[in-house]
Amino acid sequence: MSEAAPRRWGFLPLLRWGEFGRRWRPEPLVAAGLAMFLALAAFAWLGPLFYTASPYAIHAHRLFLPPSLRHPLGTDDLGRSFLARMMYGGQPSLGVAIVGSVVAMLIGLGYGMTSGLSPPRLDKALMRLLDAILALPTLVLMIFFAAIVPLGPLSLILLLGLVSWPGLARIVRNEVLAYKERDYVLAARQYGAGTGYLARRHLLRAMFPIVVVNATFTVADLILTLAGLSFLGLGIQPPTPSWGGLLGNGSNLAITGSWWLILFPGVAILLAILSLNLVGQGLLNRLEGR
Amino acid sequence: MWAMIVRRLSVSAISLVLLVTLVFFMIHATPGGPAYSILGSHASPQAVAVLNRQMGLDRPLPEQYLIWWEHLFEGRLGYSYIQHTAVSHLIGVYLERTLLLDLAALALAIAVALVVGLLQGYLADRIGGRIIGFLQIVFYAMPVFFTGILLIYGFSMRLDWLPPGGLGQGLASHARHLVLPVLTLALPIAAGFSRYFGHQAREEYRQDYVRTARARGLSEWRIATHHVLRNAVRPFITLVGMMIPALFVGGVLTESVFNYPGLGWLLWRSALDQDYPTLSAITLLIGVLTILGNLIADLLNSILDVRVRYE
Repeated sequence: MSEAAPRRWGFLPLLRWGEFGRRWRPEPLVAAGLAMFLALAAFAWLGPLFYTASPYAIHAHRLFLPPSLRHPLGTDDLGRSFLARMMYGGQPSLGVAIVGSVVAMLIGLGYGMTSGLSPPRLDKALMRLLDAILALPTLVLMIFFAAIVPLGPLSLILLLGLVSWPGLARIVRNEVLAYKERDYVLAARQYGAGTGYLARRHLLRAMFPIVVVNATFTVADLILTLAGLSFLGLGIQPPTPSWGGLLGNGSNLAITGSWWLILFPGVAILLAILSLNLVGQGLLNRLEGR
Repeated sequence: MWAMIVRRLSVSAISLVLLVTLVFFMIHATPGGPAYSILGSHASPQAVAVLNRQMGLDRPLPEQYLIWWEHLFEGRLGYSYIQHTAVSHLIGVYLERTLLLDLAALALAIAVALVVGLLQGYLADRIGGRIIGFLQIVFYAMPVFFTGILLIYGFSMRLDWLPPGGLGQGLASHARHLVLPVLTLALPIAAGFSRYFGHQAREEYRQDYVRTARARGLSEWRIATHHVLRNAVRPFITLVGMMIPALFVGGVLTESVFNYPGLGWLLWRSALDQDYPTLSAITLLIGVLTILGNLIADLLNSILDVRVRYE
């Protein structure tokens, strides 16, 4: 960024790697996890470019075929190509969780910043409210909401975002408290910097690493929650495939011995969560200087 | 200390109000109001009007909100038009089954975690310790609904050793029906638990007193049980408290996978059947249990841990 850049792009320095970048050597956990997650994402979004079978076309003459060269992951109870369904199913499974965690991040940053920069009394009240929200059972409330309001991808994103921000809000608030008395922030204030400018220019930047770590774990959590909901038949609705929904369908059909309808979606969900946990743990190790 | 307890209680009270208010407004936000959700969307306007008057749904919203609280305090949770019984009659039996499953899983998870964690601390960076560490990460990420289905497929469908779900008649059969759900629910909790505990145990094994004990000729078993375990187990209650939400959430999914008729299963069924009275009652109940669980864990923790108490 040059100095002449318009002010509204002031958030762009965030995109530099901050504390990670300064002493970046590939952390084995992060590299392995990232490679795994990118492979899954490529499978979901790039896969359909190479394997063009429809995930919806029903073929009555080829039900429950086990994996073979013709049908790499077999076929399901309606003769649909399971490889195609796995690819298309990855898109909502990963995409909804990723966008949902962005929503959570925005709310969490807003709430945490507000609380941290407020006078101590208001800050205390906001934190107590946060504790109260954190004690609510997320999945149970999601099931409750899903039963009452039929959920599409957009409302799922919003709902997932709305239930998963409190953890981040607390971290952000603690970071604000830790940084707002630092000399360079106080100095900026002396020079007449407003609270909004401080928040954007200094605080946001200082807490960028820990926010990234938290966002990684949040995406993993949301993938699990969404898969759980879809597994129960309350998340992404068939015929739209999703890994959780496919696993749910496969488990209803377990009696037919179609192991591929269980194994592949289950492993996909497991790998997605595992890879993000590895990335998050690796980044955390690096941050804590272990 | 008392100030801390009062503060903590007030947080739980806020949680409770949030929970009840949230459920109230969601139920009343259903298209056409609760009457339609109870009678079905094809109900005649007359029937809806009668039910509305009976349930006080024709009154203004703030008044209904107060009535909602009143009913909760009196334990009147509504009537399930799908199960054809008062919801409060359902709860006792289902709650008992859920507690049985959850507590059994928790006990198993703790037992496994203590043994595995000690072993991991003892082995440290040796190959065995690394394998344990790897398995912990994998099992921790394993969704319970995937584990459950794999166990059903393996042990029920292929081997035919254990029932794939449901509830047994009599003690022995009941126990057989519980094996797979308990294993499923305990696995990720044991993984998370033992990872943390293993870390603690490892730190303890590095301490001088372990070396001293070895020099005194104590057996490894005695060092493990009398020294390491005793010191590493301190953050135990915190950990149990942290695991309570995971236990309830995992319980809901596990019960659904195994068709084990507990609260979680009832929640799931009433969600699919759009049985709103049951649904809202169970949501409230599990919510209250979670809030209570958190509260008890926090209080115990602060009573036992001096550092938290004086903060």
